[in-house]
Amino acid sequence: MRVSLQWLKEYIDLPTDDVAGLKRAFDMLGHAVESVEILEADWTSVVVGKVLTVDAHPDADKVRVTTVDVGTGDPYQIICGAWNFEAGAVVPVALPGAVLPGGFAIGSRAIRGVDSHGMICSESELGLGDDHDGIMVLADETPIGGDFVDQLELPDVVFELEITNNRPDVMSMVGVARELAAWFGIEYREPEIQLETVPGEPQVSITISAPDGCNRFTAREVRGMKLGKSPLWMRERLRKAGVRAISNAVDVTNYVMMELGHPLHAFDADTIANNVLDVRWAQRGEDLATLDGSIRELTPEDLVIVDAAGPTSLAAIMGGARSEVTKATSNVLMEAAHWNPTTVMYSSRRQDLQSEASKRFERNVDPNLAPRANDRACQLLARVAGGEVLESQIDIVANGFEPATVELPTSEVQRLLGDRFTTDMSADLLRRLELGVAVDGDTIRVSVPTYRPDLTRPADLVEEVARLADFDTFEATLPTGPAGGLDEGQKLTRVIVTTLRGLGLNQAVNLPFVSQEELAAFSEKVADVVSVRNPLRDDQSKLRQSLLPALLRNVRENLNRGAPGVPLFEIGRVFYAQPWSEDARVPDQPNRLAIAMAGSLGGTEADAAAALGVVTALAQRLGLEVDREAVQPRGYHPTRTASLELHGKSIGYAGEVHPDVLAIFEIERRVAVVEVELSPLIAGHSARQMRPVSTFPHVDFDLSFDVPSGLAGGDLVEATARASVLLEGAEVFDDFVHPESGQRSIAIRYRLRAPDRTLDRSEIETERAKLVAAAAALGATLRGG
Amino acid sequence: MTEEQEESIDLDAKLDEMLLNMRLPDPSELQARIDAIATSDDLGEFHKDHLGRGSVIAKELKNLGKLPDEQRKEAGRRIHAVRQDLQRRIDARQEAISIQEKAGQIAAEGIDVTLDSRHYSIGSLHLIQQVIDEVSDIFIGLGYKVADGPEAELAWYNFDALNTPKDHPGRLESDTMYLDYGDPADEMLLRAHTSPVQARYMEAHEPPVYIVVPGKCYRNDTVDASHLPVFYQIEGLAVDSGIQFSDLKGTLAEFARQFLGPRTEVRLRPHYFPFTEPSAEMDATCPSCEGANTSCRVCGGSGWLELLGCGMVDPNVFDAVGYNPADVTGFAFGAGVERLAMVRYGIEDMRHFVDNDLRFLAQFPG
Repeated sequence: MRVSLQWLKEYIDLPTDDVAGLKRAFDMLGHAVESVEILEADWTSVVVGKVLTVDAHPDADKVRVTTVDVGTGDPYQIICGAWNFEAGAVVPVALPGAVLPGGFAIGSRAIRGVDSHGMICSESELGLGDDHDGIMVLADETPIGGDFVDQLELPDVVFELEITNNRPDVMSMVGVARELAAWFGIEYREPEIQLETVPGEPQVSITISAPDGCNRFTAREVRGMKLGKSPLWMRERLRKAGVRAISNAVDVTNYVMMELGHPLHAFDADTIANNVLDVRWAQRGEDLATLDGSIRELTPEDLVIVDAAGPTSLAAIMGGARSEVTKATSNVLMEAAHWNPTTVMYSSRRQDLQSEASKRFERNVDPNLAPRANDRACQLLARVAGGEVLESQIDIVANGFEPATVELPTSEVQRLLGDRFTTDMSADLLRRLELGVAVDGDTIRVSVPTYRPDLTRPADLVEEVARLADFDTFEATLPTGPAGGLDEGQKLTRVIVTTLRGLGLNQAVNLPFVSQEELAAFSEKVADVVSVRNPLRDDQSKLRQSLLPALLRNVRENLNRGAPGVPLFEIGRVFYAQPWSEDARVPDQPNRLAIAMAGSLGGTEADAAAALGVVTALAQRLGLEVDREAVQPRGYHPTRTASLELHGKSIGYAGEVHPDVLAIFEIERRVAVVEVELSPLIAGHSARQMRPVSTFPHVDFDLSFDVPSGLAGGDLVEATARASVLLEGAEVFDDFVHPESGQRSIAIRYRLRAPDRTLDRSEIETERAKLVAAAAALGATLRGG
Repeated sequence: MTEEQEESIDLDAKLDEMLLNMRLPDPSELQARIDAIATSDDLGEFHKDHLGRGSVIAKELKNLGKLPDEQRKEAGRRIHAVRQDLQRRIDARQEAISIQEKAGQIAAEGIDVTLDSRHYSIGSLHLIQQVIDEVSDIFIGLGYKVADGPEAELAWYNFDALNTPKDHPGRLESDTMYLDYGDPADEMLLRAHTSPVQARYMEAHEPPVYIVVPGKCYRNDTVDASHLPVFYQIEGLAVDSGIQFSDLKGTLAEFARQFLGPRTEVRLRPHYFPFTEPSAEMDATCPSCEGANTSCRVCGGSGWLELLGCGMVDPNVFDAVGYNPADVTGFAFGAGVERLAMVRYGIEDMRHFVDNDLRFLAQFPG
């Protein structure tokens, strides 16, 4: 809502013109100031002149020679290229020496042998509008010789206010004045509406067949008007309000909308077929040519105004071309109606047509404002376009609205706002809002006018009291709550992310939308996909079942940007449909942890070993024993991927992405990945107890085994490690396949240590034999043994 | 000269003759050679030649036993004197050589410390995560717990439980993302804010409630510099007996001071949200210019930053979750995590938060 300070002064005598003070008032009333524009004349030496003579130029066809009285005695001879005026026109004249917007200097010069002193100005030359079809023609009564700026309410300040959805009443100059009056504790004025009418009934008869969409319909005829340009003052006010001037009939409806907040529509009364208008729901298959030049297909949820020939206006949103006011129009039917806000909201969204009118109606205009708005529009139309206003106003009320009464106990105010809010103080504040206030002991009975649909409950009035008390006057206190803190899972999640950071991984955040193809790349449960009904992009309509597709996109983009290596991780939800039950009304949406690494990391190319190594480090940090088994899950490399198992249950995978999937994602490097469920990582953690640290020496020895094909190295390590209670460590240091025989050998370095003694030779031999026996049980034989 | 003296001279002469026959080296004559030795190894060789097993001194020591008693003592003294003298000279030289050699070694193993030749990489927490953790920690200090809830959510929790009118524009498909899921009457969506967690938490817990709720939210916005269809909020809720509007103000003031700096001031401006009444927006003084720069890029010159929305919990919300609005009051607030990060770190384009460009991520290790 753009509010011109000069226009506003018609309705209120403000105690200050100070921009900062007014801005604060708006802000603290809850109508946040989004911008402040200072408007000043962007020119010098432009005066009001009267054209005395207009003659042809002896040597040029496209311009004429005029003489103009600018109130200084001798008329000025000015050559002018515009043709939209004749002798007698009152016009703005830039005198020699004037400087117009853009630094355009005006002087005296000869045009094809005829002297020209100054310039007659158009709107666009003065930066007042985009009309450059001709010069501005001012009202005849404008004082000749006066400064043209005096006609423009300049300088001015325009405040652009953000009006919240619950306050349709403030989307008007009068509403803004009412708010400021409450803030400053002063009076405001409604515009004076004095309608001079002539006897007569409208030729149109009106019915409301859709009372669920239209609460009230008023109409009045203005006969014998003449379409033309609105006067400068109206065009200027509309311009400052951000509304384009079109014609006097349309400008009047917009002006009243800006002034009172009620949108109107002007029909050419003579185009209404059979002189009947009805408000009804549109029928399937109907369409309507609207004023913006488009043909709109209508649905039974669109409300239309129809005449005998069908729809002629899209109710509350936009008029139809067929009944548009044109140059040929003489009789106007001025409509002001109250529409069901919900209907307007859905219809305007469906038609993708949001207008100043629909914005107001969908927030709910005062249902009792229509007759006044209609009168005001007819008054102004007769004033700016001529014509006679017919005496009889049609006013059909389908649904009536009365002021509501709300009781506000002082205890409720004090409970929320504090004890300083006595009954008297609250009552005084509410009275400033022009609410009907009656105090009954400790209760305030408030009669709420119909322009405040937001005030229906005590809590709503508490807000008004707080607002007018000025939020700045409230103290800042702290409640005394219980102790706060993170739960174990939240703490561990932080441990996980900081551990991964320590391992050189960067946390990513991705949108959870994927394509069908991306979904299918990793998902074994595609049937359980959850889809977005109204996706941003049709090819990204599925909710992810894996974090990997998006991470792969990130990998590709980072590699393409020249990153030598890409180490990423993400924690986020995946989504699976699940059978409905009272406890499972929403999709299953567990949190996952995923890692993707590609390219050169720490000097080596990321591969499955990197993924496995990260898992081991993380498991170590969390104190978890994660077992691994070679598996071939969908999307993963079939021979370089492990299932990660905690307490015998798979919690995810670590390895590499399948080359076919890499091809889909257009990545030409190996990508090491991990994806695990988060909750078992958190739940599996338990508090550590210290193990004694032995002070006795260790013994290291190596064993090299020939292993049968199919034996997992991890199983060999684990089985041998379990064979001796004195084993402190076991680490594979060589793993090779003999090129000719194909025999695989694994060499392991073992470390033994006893907690309470130095091991002697025979003990070491005994333990070593246990390891060898455990390996033999798996079919692994000691090399050379 | 006495007779005795003469006698002793005579003895001395004999001894001298004998000692001359020992062919002991003169250490002072060797000093020049010692000084010319440059390395520990060469000095070791020299030591071996002159004091080692095959040296003259070693031979003479061996011969000592063959000497008569009265001569052996003196000869032994002389040999030891020469040996000690020589050893001292060698030791002194060794000390000098060692110092030189150590210096040489240290000089030789020097590196160019201005270059990195080995790389350890530290990763990063996403800025979103950092801000969530930091804000959570501030409120934990004020007595809050951290709560969580589903992102694919029932429309009832996202709207109805929060007093959102049936015809609120936020419910339109142009604003909210809906899911094809379950019973059409039990409409399912991607939550538009973290507030549904308020309702779920209150349903499951008796007051008092002091929680913050960080999480992902969804809106039907196309991606541009100031919009993301997926964004993060952090929401707070305090419900207790006796909570007043001033508590909201004080709590947010404390938060702002901790998050933006101790000199930060806040103001509440009336606003409208369906789930709070009164509702407000909170502005904080600009930490960048503190109101002193009319062309400040962070606050746009106003000196104030719009930071979050807040208000006193609407009684209809208490009704919806089974609390008695007569027994409790409360306040709620919600901030955009990206907004907080942008203010704090001077980020002007929201797309950085989802681009996952390492050049951005690595700037903020967290």
